[in-house]
Amino acid sequence: MTSTEITPLCEAPIQPGDVLLSIENLHACVEENEILRGVSLQIRAGEIHALMGRNGSGKSTLSKVIAGHPAYTVTAGSIHYRGQDLLALSPEDRARSGVFLGFQYPVEIPGVSNLEFLRVSCNARRQHRGQEELDTFAFEDHVRDTMAIVQMDPAFLERSVNEGFSGGEKKRNEVLQMALLKPLVAILDETDSGLDIDALRIVANGVKKLALPTTATLLITHYQRLLDAITPDFVHVMAEGRILRTGDKDLAMALEQRGYDWIDGVDGADTPQP
Amino acid sequence: MSNATQSRSWLETLLQVLAQRPGQPVGQWAAQWAGARDGCWPTRRSEAWRFTDLRCLTQLDPARLHTQTATPPWPDALRQGPSRQVALQLDGRGHWLSPQGEPPSWPHGLMPLPTEDVTPGQVAHTVMPSGTLPLGAQLNGVTPGPSLCLQVSGADPVHLALAIQVEQDQAWLAPRVLLVLQPGARLCLTWHVAATAQAAVLPLVEVRLGTGAQLEEAVVAWGCPGATLLGSSFVHQSPRSVYRRTNVTWGWGLSRDEPFVHQSQGQAETHLYGLAVARDRSLLDTHSTVYFDGPAGQLRQRHQALADGRGHSVFNGRVVVPRVAQQTDASQLSRNLLLSTRARIDTKPQLEIVADDVQCTHGATVSCLQDDELFYLQSRGIGREQASRLLQRGFCEDVLQRLPGTALPWPSLQRLLEIPVPDQP
Ligand SMILES: Nc1ncnc2c1ncn2[C@@H]1O[C@H](COP(=O)(O)OP(=O)(O)OP(=O)(O)O)[C@@H](O)[C@H]1O
Ligand SMILES: [Mg+2]
Repeated sequence: MTSTEITPLCEAPIQPGDVLLSIENLHACVEENEILRGVSLQIRAGEIHALMGRNGSGKSTLSKVIAGHPAYTVTAGSIHYRGQDLLALSPEDRARSGVFLGFQYPVEIPGVSNLEFLRVSCNARRQHRGQEELDTFAFEDHVRDTMAIVQMDPAFLERSVNEGFSGGEKKRNEVLQMALLKPLVAILDETDSGLDIDALRIVANGVKKLALPTTATLLITHYQRLLDAITPDFVHVMAEGRILRTGDKDLAMALEQRGYDWIDGVDGADTPQP
Repeated sequence: MSNATQSRSWLETLLQVLAQRPGQPVGQWAAQWAGARDGCWPTRRSEAWRFTDLRCLTQLDPARLHTQTATPPWPDALRQGPSRQVALQLDGRGHWLSPQGEPPSWPHGLMPLPTEDVTPGQVAHTVMPSGTLPLGAQLNGVTPGPSLCLQVSGADPVHLALAIQVEQDQAWLAPRVLLVLQPGARLCLTWHVAATAQAAVLPLVEVRLGTGAQLEEAVVAWGCPGATLLGSSFVHQSPRSVYRRTNVTWGWGLSRDEPFVHQSQGQAETHLYGLAVARDRSLLDTHSTVYFDGPAGQLRQRHQALADGRGHSVFNGRVVVPRVAQQTDASQLSRNLLLSTRARIDTKPQLEIVADDVQCTHGATVSCLQDDELFYLQSRGIGREQASRLLQRGFCEDVLQRLPGTALPWPSLQRLLEIPVPDQP
């Protein structure tokens, strides 16, 4: 597949290797607490990055700041998405232009039908890409086809968004949304947590299928299991709001064997950013 | 002139004007009213009217009142339904006619009761033996005009769709409906009330449910800022009867809904669901009473209100469980969504429980739109406005989904579903 084929009308063509997301010295706080303390990270088209780190190190915060969660204030630094100041955009515009966050804790929304939610969001993204909106019927066909990617039962369309979904079902619903929105940068925050063995394989295959030479993926995870299925090009370790160390897939293996204490003992300053 | 003097003189004029209308007022009421009207007119000092201002009603000019109605925009599905379905609209003389403007033809299972057999107000007085009737019922009672009195029989459900459409300023409509359900009879009753003008609609509904009878009632009431709706209903339930009522109200300058349900010997089921969407300066008030006069009765009640702009929602849910009502199982929930700093929610459970072997629960919540829910929708490319709309509709869904299919095709309701509601119907 060539890059122009999958590049939408009003999104300029992307070549593999183009910088998609560039984060520099990002500081962010919630109320008075500084949580991100100088994160720098560059992600290019065609790359898969893994972000690891202890509980509470700031991984989800980073993902939510990228997506534009209003609870966090950026106090210094920048995020550029395809050369544009991402922080200047509303959360919805970030999403429409191709940034996707798969939530660690997908939100339950009682009374809002999953089908309608998916249709409205899919159409918002389509509109941005210069594609025509899908009506209810066309969308229903489309979503049923897409659900096959994550082997999700169409019965979930009739329910309220995530309401009463099991942990694993919520995560599949996130990957379904990713598949529908066709993001250019997908951040998946612990999408593998809470999945059974079969579900992990299904989700990993789905994510792999959606990772193209012209898109980038940031996998936030605690487990080697996922990285066995999806080989990352880079592995970053976060601690206390910074990226402490960057390496390749071997870094994740080493962590798995030796734990985070090992990283604390090593000076990570010598690991250059990709 | 003080407010009180002003209201009194407004009322005097109103009564004089109504007395000159052709037809009979409900005798008993007129007399009762004449004796006690000064005491009947609510002031904000009385607890039941603490939050509810009647200005929207008293701005009508008694001298100009009339009874003109318009043709409701009947959805096709209701205009010509199946054989056990009747659609009726209120005409300018207080009669109920078919959408074609003809006298109704009654399906099997539905039969007009001879007027000499029934006195409107009968049920109201049985279920509310003491205490004054609600203001809406009082005003209805002093307004001359015909009543619709029907008997329902047979276990095959009958559908009755009633519509009132008001499009002219100064309309004063006080329809009276009395329904007697024979043991085991089943009726699905839908009301569609719409007012697009400065007017008052004061429906009075009385129902007798025989043993094992079932009534499913849906009220869709859509008003405009100058319109007042004062609705009263009195439901007398025999053992094993089931009464389900779903009420959706929005847009009125003032609406006061006062259902009074009496489980005469307990052992019946009552389900009350209400949704009030109060925007702009709308004041939507629900005062419900469920009285268990025997053991093992059941109540499921949920009132939901959404208040935005300077909208104001009032809910008072009274549940009376005297000593005879052992094993009563009642639950009441008031859920509220507050969308603006100038909007207001007043909600109060009023549980009067004397019996000791009962299960009665109540709860009330007031919340705002949740940031996490909004953000989740926004993070999928849904704009903030639309996200807010989806969440508001999601909030209403709990009650809306209980509306029977026959209440759904009305265009007004379709518009409500696309919240926010336009100011004018
Ligand atoms: N909205 C918030 N309010 C207060 N504290 C917050 C908020 N968001 C994050 N924090 C704090 O910031 C720190 C980082 O949290 P974050 O969720 O980013 O960690 P994480 O690396 O994703 O952890 P985990 O692996 O457990 O998911 C934690 O100490 C957390 O308590
Ligand atoms: Mg996290």
